[in-house]
Amino acid sequence: MSNSQQIFEAWLAGKITASECEEQLEPNSEWHDRFQTAQLLQRQAKAPFFAPVPEVDTMSIFAQQWQRPAKSSNWWPKLSVAFSVLALVVSLSPLELQMQDSGLTLSWRGGQQMQQQQLETLLASYRKEQQDYIQTQLQSTQQQQASQLILLKDYLTEQQTKERRTDMLELVEYLNQQRQSDWHYWQENYQPSQARLDLGSSQNTQNR
Amino acid sequence: MFKRSDESLIEKAIGGDAKAWQQLVSRYQAPLYYFGLRLLGSPDDARDLLQDVFIVLCRNLAQYRGDSSFKSWLFGIANYRAMDMLRKRKNTTEFTEEHDFYDDEAPSFEQQLYGQHTQKLVQHQLRSLPPEQRLVVELRFYQQFTFDEIADQLALSSNTIKSRFYAALDKLRTQLELADVEQSANF
Repeated sequence: MSNSQQIFEAWLAGKITASECEEQLEPNSEWHDRFQTAQLLQRQAKAPFFAPVPEVDTMSIFAQQWQRPAKSSNWWPKLSVAFSVLALVVSLSPLELQMQDSGLTLSWRGGQQMQQQQLETLLASYRKEQQDYIQTQLQSTQQQQASQLILLKDYLTEQQTKERRTDMLELVEYLNQQRQSDWHYWQENYQPSQARLDLGSSQNTQNR
Repeated sequence: MFKRSDESLIEKAIGGDAKAWQQLVSRYQAPLYYFGLRLLGSPDDARDLLQDVFIVLCRNLAQYRGDSSFKSWLFGIANYRAMDMLRKRKNTTEFTEEHDFYDDEAPSFEQQLYGQHTQKLVQHQLRSLPPEQRLVVELRFYQQFTFDEIADQLALSSNTIKSRFYAALDKLRTQLELADVEQSANF
């Protein structure tokens, strides 16, 4: 890289002023010409440009690319679906929608007889259900009572065994105490007499 | 007023903020349009370029990693699309039509009187440069990019950019001198 190029590039980078650059490039006509052309272009670039800027539509592509569709708050489609389902249910079930005396009546298809039949079926099923329930309750009560009786019997047996054992222990203790008191009595009352008797008999034997 | 950074606007736009996107578009709409106008020479082509660049930008917004400035990255896209348009145009018909970019309702009479004649002359001479040289002059003077930034945008070496730049300056100098001689002869 030549010295003139370095000077020129230093001016372009804003490190030296235009007058310093011009002065230093004066002897080199090639670089001086380049400097003057560059200066003219720099002035042109700074001059205002008046052509109007057209509007371009970028929002649609932006929305398509980056915006998530907002949740629809329109409830008409949902309502429509709900009514369709209702109409389907009404048409498939024995329900009947009738216009009578300028009024709308929703009734069971088949009339009184069918209603009676359905009522009887319902009552029969209810009766059976109740009977089953009572039966189950009875069984459950019986089982509960039996288990409670077993528990009571076990408890009583255990209590009886405990009492008997306590009595025996008390008896043994009493007997022990009795024996101990007998032993003391014997020690206090009979042991000295016995000792005396033994001594007397041994003296008699020696005298003989 | 507080000006939001390009990076913050991009982040918001990626999150679906339409206002941030609109702000980003408004910020670069004029520089990109004038870039296209100077480089391609036709308002219609400049408009097409503008639309095209914003579509590409929108689709690739998430790919901006912040390795270079956003402006440099955006002009990298614009350069590629503009050169592509120039190449296609060259393959079909040679562009010879002269367009007047300057709005007749410019803000001040003084500005018109002083600037427009020289501006037109320089623009005319710039358009006669080869596209590669014209692009380097545009990016260096009008967009204020450094040689290294231009080299990054065009994926070329800094030396290649400089040699195109100096060649453009030399050619412009000769053409402007010739134009000056012609003008003097007309008087």
